[in-house]
Amino acid sequence: MTQQTWDEVGGLLPYDEFRAASDAIVTNIEQVIEGKTATVRLALAVLLAEGHLLIEDVPGVGKTKLAKALARSIDCSVRRIQFTPDLLPSDVTGVSVYNQETHDFEFRPGAVFANLVVGDEINRASPKTQSALLECMEERQVTVDGVTYQLQTPFMVIATQNPIEMEGTYPLPEAQRDRFTARIAMGYPDPTAELAMLDGHGAVDPLPALRPVSDADTVRRLIGHVRQVHVADAVKQYAVDLVTATRESPDLRLGASPRCTLQLLRTARAVAALDGRDYVLPDDLQVLAVPVLAHRLIPTADAQLARRTTDAIIADIVHRLPLPHDRKRSPYENRPPAGNGRAPFEPRRP
Amino acid sequence: MIAHRNLGLVAAAATLLAAAPLSAIFERWTWLVQAVIAVAAVAACAALARLGRTPLWAQVLAMLGGLTLALTWLFPSGAELLAILPTPSTFGHFAELLTGSVEDMRSYGVKVPDTDPLLFVTVLGIGAVAVLVDVLCVGLRRPALAGLPMLAIYSVPVAVYVDSVPPVPFAIGAAGFLWLLVTDNVDRVRRFGRRFTGDGRDVDVWEASPLAAAGRRLAVVGLALAVLVPLAVPGMTVGLMNTLNSGVGSGLGGPGLGNSPGRVDLFAALSGELNQSRVTDLVKVTTTEKEPFYLRFGVADDLRANGFRVRGPNGQRATGDLPEPAERPRPGVERTRHQATVEVSRELNMPLLPFYAEPANFDDLGSNWFYDPNLQVLFSNRDDSRGKKFSFEYVRSTYTPQALRSAQPLPADLPLRRQQTVTPDVPEVRALVAELTRGERTEYDKVRAIYDYFSEDNGFTYQLSTEEGTSGQQILDFLENKAGYCQQYAAALAWMVRDAGIPARVAFGFTNGSRRSGETLTLTNRNLHAWTEVYFDQIGWVPFDATPSYGVPGSTRSAWAPDTDAPEETTPQDGTSDTPDETDPTAAPDRDPNQFEEGLDAGAGTGSDTPAGRTSPWPWLTVAGLLALLALLAVPALRRLALRRRRGRLAPVARTVDPPDADSATAGQPSVVVSTDPDRARADAHAAWDELIDTLVDYRVRVDPTETPRATADRLSRDSVGTDAAAGTAVRLLGRAEERARYARDPLTGEPLPAALRTVRGALAGQADRRTRLMATVLPPSVLGRWRTTIADTSARLVAAGGQLRYRLLRFNPRRLIANRASR
Ligand SMILES: Nc1ncnc2c1ncn2[C@@H]1O[C@H](COP(=O)(O)OP(=O)(O)O)[C@@H](O)[C@H]1O
Ligand SMILES: [Mg+2]
Repeated sequence: MTQQTWDEVGGLLPYDEFRAASDAIVTNIEQVIEGKTATVRLALAVLLAEGHLLIEDVPGVGKTKLAKALARSIDCSVRRIQFTPDLLPSDVTGVSVYNQETHDFEFRPGAVFANLVVGDEINRASPKTQSALLECMEERQVTVDGVTYQLQTPFMVIATQNPIEMEGTYPLPEAQRDRFTARIAMGYPDPTAELAMLDGHGAVDPLPALRPVSDADTVRRLIGHVRQVHVADAVKQYAVDLVTATRESPDLRLGASPRCTLQLLRTARAVAALDGRDYVLPDDLQVLAVPVLAHRLIPTADAQLARRTTDAIIADIVHRLPLPHDRKRSPYENRPPAGNGRAPFEPRRP
Repeated sequence: MIAHRNLGLVAAAATLLAAAPLSAIFERWTWLVQAVIAVAAVAACAALARLGRTPLWAQVLAMLGGLTLALTWLFPSGAELLAILPTPSTFGHFAELLTGSVEDMRSYGVKVPDTDPLLFVTVLGIGAVAVLVDVLCVGLRRPALAGLPMLAIYSVPVAVYVDSVPPVPFAIGAAGFLWLLVTDNVDRVRRFGRRFTGDGRDVDVWEASPLAAAGRRLAVVGLALAVLVPLAVPGMTVGLMNTLNSGVGSGLGGPGLGNSPGRVDLFAALSGELNQSRVTDLVKVTTTEKEPFYLRFGVADDLRANGFRVRGPNGQRATGDLPEPAERPRPGVERTRHQATVEVSRELNMPLLPFYAEPANFDDLGSNWFYDPNLQVLFSNRDDSRGKKFSFEYVRSTYTPQALRSAQPLPADLPLRRQQTVTPDVPEVRALVAELTRGERTEYDKVRAIYDYFSEDNGFTYQLSTEEGTSGQQILDFLENKAGYCQQYAAALAWMVRDAGIPARVAFGFTNGSRRSGETLTLTNRNLHAWTEVYFDQIGWVPFDATPSYGVPGSTRSAWAPDTDAPEETTPQDGTSDTPDETDPTAAPDRDPNQFEEGLDAGAGTGSDTPAGRTSPWPWLTVAGLLALLALLAVPALRRLALRRRRGRLAPVARTVDPPDADSATAGQPSVVVSTDPDRARADAHAAWDELIDTLVDYRVRVDPTETPRATADRLSRDSVGTDAAAGTAVRLLGRAEERARYARDPLTGEPLPAALRTVRGALAGQADRRTRLMATVLPPSVLGRWRTTIADTSARLVAAGGQLRYRLLRFNPRRLIANRASR
């Protein structure tokens, strides 16, 4: 399979072209998933940011549905792995088998050799199998018996999982969680969306009827576009401030990694592009802070005892962190005004 | 041992220094000589005892012995052995001196003369303190405690002489104490051998011990407190407070005029009270006399270059009968006895009590009050007049002019005449007096000639707002301007009568006021008054009131000193014969007894007696001050206006250029108009946003530094601009422009930002209440806040820089330099 380099893919697309391509995917998915536009767009953003998506929620809220809908909307290779306790690492990556005819070892590719890999119920597999995904997710390659095989582009893992409190789950190791760009929760649909779901899907499941509206090439072009989105210095500074704040927060035992910073900015670019902008805003980072940061962090024992989730801690940090100011501004810009009822953000080392 | 001897000497010297405040009590310095002798004896005995390495109790005994010897020598009873060895009769004498001192303390006002009892007590006290200080410093090594007995000395002048203990002697005493502390510390530290700074190196000789830093600071603070607190506490040093605000305000009615009758500046108090806009009842007096002369409480008879001053009174306890005033009847002098009760309100606080001259006896006065028969004042060194009520009998004398005319000139060598006729040399006054009294033969005629001079015919008017003071120059000014009030009239008349060789003084008291019900007069601060008293041989002090009567409610005139401005005045030169009219004690025939009620209006008018011709500078100064204040207040508003003007002046009309083609246009906004000058557009957007933020601060809308421009704009259009859709759009535009300027490759251009700003400002103003709007215009919080921040930042920087400078300058510390030179 020959692939274009990113230079050949090219830079910014015309606004309308990007808009049409991305909107087509979102609309397509929304035929299946009711009332989850923001989630769908975020899932697409992760795809365009060349990241991997973790969908975490209670059973029966459409996680699998979303993953499959996204996969079906794009005309590319899709593989699905149902993670079970007895799944082996070789099932994921592939295995070398001896070919009687050629008298040679032949590599039989595993499930990850596809553009989109849907890993359902990922936390039901043993940690050994889970970690088989590690290399492929980060480095987009698989090494089996000393031979390294490149994966295709785009490559995205869409994993679903139940919250760790659920029965029969192995929590994802930190290293594995850190490789997922974003974790999104589906959430229950609101009553009108649920009604629409009953009307639309009551009789027949629309998923099999879903037609692809895009292909790997288009997605590559979209990714090329996202890569060119402008990030001002102030925004980069804000991203760094944000991750630094997680590292210095007294509530967190483990802060965000530099990989996280990179992924945050990449996703922000994608979100900005989906929003029709060619520049990233701090607002994008604020929106993405919880999905991109929260699942990688480990709260301190105290915070856990106080039942403060990482989501809440991140939201709190975003709420208190002042925007960086790149030039001499009025004093109100860098000083919390009196009487706004909020303590200024004071980072402390744990 | 050398150190101990040294410390003992310092302790003795410090004790003497601590005694410095006593100089405020004594007239002369005898006490100091005697104290030095006593302290020297104590110190010598202590040194001798220590030389013999005796225990502490023996040292104490030796010192007490030394003190006894010194006292015996200084205050002998006459029965001593070898002049210094005491006998039982010596101690009997000491006991007498002690009891005598109690009596002396009561009867003498400050400053006290050198009486043996007082000197004895003083020397005994200082000697005892010397013993204590020595024991504490040398014996117990507790020099800090030695401050207590030293402070005890200071408390003596404070207690005896309450109003004004001068701060300098106290500073001397404190310096003595510090000397003691330093000597002890040096001695103590030397015994340690090496000194360490605590950070691993020796303390250089030049350096103060770091261990002592806290102590030094405490000492400085303590000293400052010790000097300042007595100055600030009213009652302790009212004298100083008085000098600080003498003149207006520090009136008789004000609290805390102090407790020393010798120190009240009655003139200043008088003018202060008369100038008060507030009217306070000060005294209620009930008398059996039909038309009494003025109630009197003070006298100023000490004429110096700077004017009349009050002398410290001297007298015996005012209980029971006083020596009957001048028994011998004289023709033309009528004496009537009356009974009066005086009730002083709580507003009048002074060490003097008002009464009618001349008193025969006082009732209900505690043992704290004394009567000076010469000054005719009732005074106290420890009590004050507040709330006092007492009654007394008095003898009222009235005189016919003939009776006074028959008085002979006083013999020139009579002390009274010598004292009470001294005047500073003012040739002009002297010449005027000589001219007025030319040809007058009797003392009374001379006085009348001067008295009559102060008449309306000669151009004299009553005016309250005159320059203070009774010095020669001020008397001269008064005689020139011919406008003044009772202070000038009384002082000038007394001065001129003195110049004529007749004793005269200024008396202080109350006129009869304008409120009378039955036998009771209610006297207020407006009724305070001063007049002149002239001494006639065989007759005594006779009052003359030269102040124009129209200016003084309740003014009374007498047969011997009629109203010079009255129309049917008979000149005394004409009336040499006895007329029945003149023997009438209630002279001034033009007045009926009900005049007090009529005087009410005059009383109300005293404050505004300034003649219209004399314009005061005060209105102009007030207007100028108000204008300056307004200008000052307008500065923040003007600054805000200038800021807004500057920010609004930007890019009003964008030079809109059509995008050449779709590709080169920014991909985000197809309809965006691209300006050729992105930097300019960026600056414009920032300026507009800054202006919006300032406007928010001005209208007290929350500004959140954690919010992005977009979020701020959303919040404002949602919450703050009301239902104004246009304002909502405008604020979103401002937010978009700012966010593009900050974060995008190309700023937003060609948008009507100033107009949007105006719209938003209008909407915000519409939502704000009136007070906020007013403040936003007059004292914009944005400007004030920025100034406050700047000041805080600057001062923080200055403090930091100051710390660094101090650190660098430490290199040039003189102590360090000296030490370096010495070591070389
Ligand atoms: N928001 C939604 N819109 C449409 N269908 C939904 C939605 N949420 C859940 N469903 C339906 O619920 C069912 C369970 O969905 P699934 O994706 O299997 O759940 P899980 O989260 O356990 O993977 C599916 O049949 C799906 O159609
Ligand atoms: Mg499922």
